[in-house]
Amino acid sequence: MISDRVKRNLTRTFRESMLPKLGLVLLVVIVVMAMFAPILATHDPTRTGYFHEEGGPYPPPGFEYTTTVASDGEIGDVEVTSTSEHLLGTNTVGQDVYSRFLYGARVSLLVSLFGVSLALLMGVPFGLVAGYYGGRIDDGLMRLADVMLAFPALVLALALIGVFGSQPIQVPDPIVLAGVADGMPESIPIPGSVTVVVALVTWVWFARVARGEALSIRNEEYVKAAKSFGTADWRILLKHVLPNSLTPIIVLATIQMAIIILIEASLAYLGFTGTTLSWGYEIETGQDVLRTRPWVAMVPGIGIVLAVISVNLLGDWFRDALDPNIEGSERGA
Amino acid sequence: MSMLKFLLRRTLQGVFVIWGVVTVLFGLRAVSPGDPASLMLGQGATQELVERVREVEGLNEPIYVQYADYLGSLVRGDLGYSWRSEREVEMMVLERVPATIELAVAATVIALLIAVPLGVVSATRRGTASDYGATLFSLLGISTPNFWLGLMLILVLGVWYGIPYPSLSGSGSVPIGVGFVDLPTGRRAVGFGEALMAIVQEGSFGEMGLWLKHITLPAITLGTYFTALITRLTRSGMIDEFGKPYVTATQSKGLPGVLVRYKHVLRNTMIPIITVLGLQMGTLMGGAVITETVFNWPGLGLRLIDALGVRDWPLMQGIILFIAIMFVTINIVVDALYTYLDPQVSVE
Repeated sequence: MISDRVKRNLTRTFRESMLPKLGLVLLVVIVVMAMFAPILATHDPTRTGYFHEEGGPYPPPGFEYTTTVASDGEIGDVEVTSTSEHLLGTNTVGQDVYSRFLYGARVSLLVSLFGVSLALLMGVPFGLVAGYYGGRIDDGLMRLADVMLAFPALVLALALIGVFGSQPIQVPDPIVLAGVADGMPESIPIPGSVTVVVALVTWVWFARVARGEALSIRNEEYVKAAKSFGTADWRILLKHVLPNSLTPIIVLATIQMAIIILIEASLAYLGFTGTTLSWGYEIETGQDVLRTRPWVAMVPGIGIVLAVISVNLLGDWFRDALDPNIEGSERGA
Repeated sequence: MSMLKFLLRRTLQGVFVIWGVVTVLFGLRAVSPGDPASLMLGQGATQELVERVREVEGLNEPIYVQYADYLGSLVRGDLGYSWRSEREVEMMVLERVPATIELAVAATVIALLIAVPLGVVSATRRGTASDYGATLFSLLGISTPNFWLGLMLILVLGVWYGIPYPSLSGSGSVPIGVGFVDLPTGRRAVGFGEALMAIVQEGSFGEMGLWLKHITLPAITLGTYFTALITRLTRSGMIDEFGKPYVTATQSKGLPGVLVRYKHVLRNTMIPIITVLGLQMGTLMGGAVITETVFNWPGLGLRLIDALGVRDWPLMQGIILFIAIMFVTINIVVDALYTYLDPQVSVE
């Protein structure tokens, strides 16, 4: 488990550097955004048609633009101004950008949390068993890993989406269901197959790290002792090998979370997730109007960067404190 | 063991991995929904025609026969025909390779040129403002999705400011901003090879200028992640090396710090970085898919996205297989380089 030495290292590195503190603050902000999106949001993020009376979306402060309108047979330029009603303006179909920014955090975090959990469940048991027993299972795992790694993560994810299609899952919103936030959607769609796909492309990293740990732990004295008492293998794996491999697995999970956020955003940007409530998708819709309505693409990107930075900073902190050499921790989307 | 034996063994392993990749790709196509014959013919095909195509393409055979057929044709170098354009997949892949390689190489060059000096400065001046700057830059670099970065580059450089760009054809400087449609949508106007030929044969530098102008933003977009990554690796690698006894020993012998830094420490730091770069080829290719989409850069990635959109399986398989072969080959080369660079690592 997490030993005292590890705890001391964590506190020491946290005190010594600004970066873990920044990461923690950012993560808290993102998590609060995601959890309390229905309360913090000013509009239903899926409702369309919030357009300026002169036509066209509302700009955020600082992005006022002029548009040409014809009235009473006269053609003239009209200044389209920002409104306090829509803090960050509205997008091309007239949805509130600020509200969608908040809900985007929810989608991003849900996909990465589910994705990492699934990858852990797939990779860790496989890796532990392979490393502990060695032999054929181990050879098989290592060869499979070689094959998996020959695919770029994003390319494999795209191919898998081609197979599974993109099935959204409706995730109910407890806050709205409790009646606290009126007028917000009772459930939001998250890209279900994407969650499975990101796990399928990242599990092998967990398997490799777990295998490496099991391989060294199986020769430890306490494992040999347990064996000599006749303890069953599954018990040794659960009681000794798993707890002692946790540290590097936690570090890897943090870093893979950042990677999964980026993969989800990329898939959504390419239009392969089947859902439209996503930072990545929002950027795609902003691309066509980049010149005239730049905020549509700008705002959601800031969300992605903040979320990924926060997770990366925590990952760096854990890695510096726990283990500087974890394989697979320097691999991007 | 000799270098030749080492290469042979690694090649054999590589072939095994590629066979695995082929099997995965075949399996994916087999379990994917939709009848291939109908996909091939598009909507409005008669049942009769669909049946005939199924027969001709061997789709009525048992799955293991289809698998054997697929392997057999790949061994002969036959990637099949695209379901949509009815062209040979081999041609459709090969004609897109130069654009992607140009982009990948340009990105890597930019990354190395910026990252290594940045990492060295960061490591040798720990705790200074330049170290914090480099750390912040690399943190942002690995955390920014490249499609968004590409769009923001277009927005800031292309739309808002328009950076002046030296025109090699001699008419002063041409701002990129004027060419908003021109530059950001990428549109690789000329290949590197053609541009080089123009210089050699006609002494004309205009084509090379055009090539440079078009590749600049896509290459920066694709390269930023790697710049950030290599900066981090160089910094941490050099800091590790500084702590080793040989550095103290060489310094106490009176070798100048600069010499120690570059001749010994940097060289030892670069060895693991090269390995990481090889393993990162996959990320580079994944990034290329996105970057090519943002900048409409006519490479393999853009073609892959097109093929995915219409479920053109032979084309998808061909492109992914090509990428995998490239990945495996580069990693064999990297391993060979590794043994060459580091005398401690024997080919065993």
